[in-house]
Amino acid sequence: MAGTPEQTTVNQVAKLARIHLNEQQIESSAEKLAQILGYIGQLDEVELPEDVTPFFGAIESVNAIRDDQLQASVPRKEILDNAPDSDGEFYLVPPVF
Amino acid sequence: MEDSDLTSSSNPPSNDRLAVQFNDAEIIIGLEVHVQLDTISKLFCGCSTQFGEAANSQTCVVCTGMPGALPVINQRALELSIRTGIALNCSIARSTKWDRKNYFYPDLPKGYQISQFDQPICGPGHLDIEVPETPGKLRQIRIERAHLEEDAGKSIHDESSLGQDSKIDLNRTGTPLLEIVTQPDIRTAAEAKAFLSELKLILNYIDVSDCNMQQGNLRCDANVNLHIPLGDHQIATPIVEIKNLNSFRSVERSITYEAQRQFEAWQEHGLTITDAPKQTRGWNDHAQATTLQREKEDSADYRYFPDPDLIAVTIKESQIKQIQKQLVQLPTELRKTLVEQYKLNPEDAAAIVSQGRGVVDYFSEVADGCQDSRIANNWIGQEVLRQLKESNQTIQQYPLSPKQFTELLNLVIDGTLDQTRGKEVLNEMVEHSISAQQAIEQLGIKPVDKNELVSLCEKLIDENQEVVEQIRAGNGKAIGMLIGKARKINPNANPGAIKALLSKMISQ
Repeated sequence: MAGTPEQTTVNQVAKLARIHLNEQQIESSAEKLAQILGYIGQLDEVELPEDVTPFFGAIESVNAIRDDQLQASVPRKEILDNAPDSDGEFYLVPPVF
Repeated sequence: MEDSDLTSSSNPPSNDRLAVQFNDAEIIIGLEVHVQLDTISKLFCGCSTQFGEAANSQTCVVCTGMPGALPVINQRALELSIRTGIALNCSIARSTKWDRKNYFYPDLPKGYQISQFDQPICGPGHLDIEVPETPGKLRQIRIERAHLEEDAGKSIHDESSLGQDSKIDLNRTGTPLLEIVTQPDIRTAAEAKAFLSELKLILNYIDVSDCNMQQGNLRCDANVNLHIPLGDHQIATPIVEIKNLNSFRSVERSITYEAQRQFEAWQEHGLTITDAPKQTRGWNDHAQATTLQREKEDSADYRYFPDPDLIAVTIKESQIKQIQKQLVQLPTELRKTLVEQYKLNPEDAAAIVSQGRGVVDYFSEVADGCQDSRIANNWIGQEVLRQLKESNQTIQQYPLSPKQFTELLNLVIDGTLDQTRGKEVLNEMVEHSISAQQAIEQLGIKPVDKNELVSLCEKLIDENQEVVEQIRAGNGKAIGMLIGKARKINPNANPGAIKALLSKMISQ
């Protein structure tokens, strides 16, 4: 499909997400994506010293670790109530195949 | 997969292709093994990992991916991963981080799986394996990496083809898995099976996983293709990933099937690795064939990126040393010990070690106790293992302690009990959980006095002159008939002693 690089990306992600977008939705999503990429792209302008090491998070701390201990799970009814559909035991989703 | 020395000239003339034999092709195999780590709680939350509980009874806001819920890594999962890495000769990362692997499927509630992309907890290593067909010959299979990730949930699809809803159980969601990835170093289906057997044994020995394949605690994907010589170069067939193999037999059979299928497909259409993308196939156990699944999504399609909800974990040298120090003897070392220290032959040593650490410990204690490792091996390797198999028990549940067993073997070694009576005593001991002495009393086994034995032999010789003549004529085996008769008259008579006495009397 012809279009901007962002439109191509939107189409690709929609396909992976198995959702259908109409022309208008593709266009508006691509516009938003372009805005976001433009905003993030400002980072490319930052000049970094040679020896800087990559950093992967927003905070510098490491090692938030928990012991292997049980904690109470959420009661089934309560958790299933969040789903669009269930039979009281399982989540129900449209057939995958 | 390796394809550096391959030319990309595809579609050679079909006559050339048809001239190639299947046996000329080399099978290239790499494995991805998912091991469920033995933790009581999930990888990033405190929900239970217990198998077989009521559907959706073990989930929370973290493992169902509710907005704002924060995952926190499980200490034991880290430790078990490091332990595995050390056992597989892997380098252990000093800093490791988590990434999101994005894909959409109903049993993945967050829309991504927390996995590790570029900084796995375990780096390159290797595992040496021995294939039963070529004993004594070790093959080194390189490990590329091992990374921690969370499992997905379970989908139950409607198979009535009425298009009914699929059911989703998220109990398994978030269970810790270690994915161990090999280099494409495996060359035969038998090697793949040997690799998995050895890996499973190691994981059992180091208490990382129970590797229960029925419960899906050890799952395997196999990447398979062929290198085929063609004139002065070689071509490679398109790579196929066979998914979700959950038994050693399916691994072995699916690879054998897939290699043959790829060869025939190549002979027919000549497509090579450069012509077709990696394909995903599933193993159909019923049809004993691999069948085409969806096209493999490109790695980039998963849009991996660092998980902003999790921070890196640093691992200190001292932590690795500590775990290393606690590591038990591995199967390879134990086989060596049994051969060198206990003088077992390599096959017997391998058989004992393959039964798990419990049996090895049992054997060592009995062999040390009775000072005869050959007899200990015979009795444990045959009688004990058979009894365990029949009663579907583990060695930990076996009613006789190594000390009690030693007591029995000592009576066999000093001649008080012959093999047959010894086995009767053993059965009696196991059945009633009693000592060897008690069993001997219950069975009414009494030592036979020398004079009694002599008169028994005299009687046998008198009554069986024909047999005696046969023996005198050189038919040594005929003596067995007399021993059998003696045992009928007096079951306590030691066959060895009767044989010696009869031989002496007959030759006089």
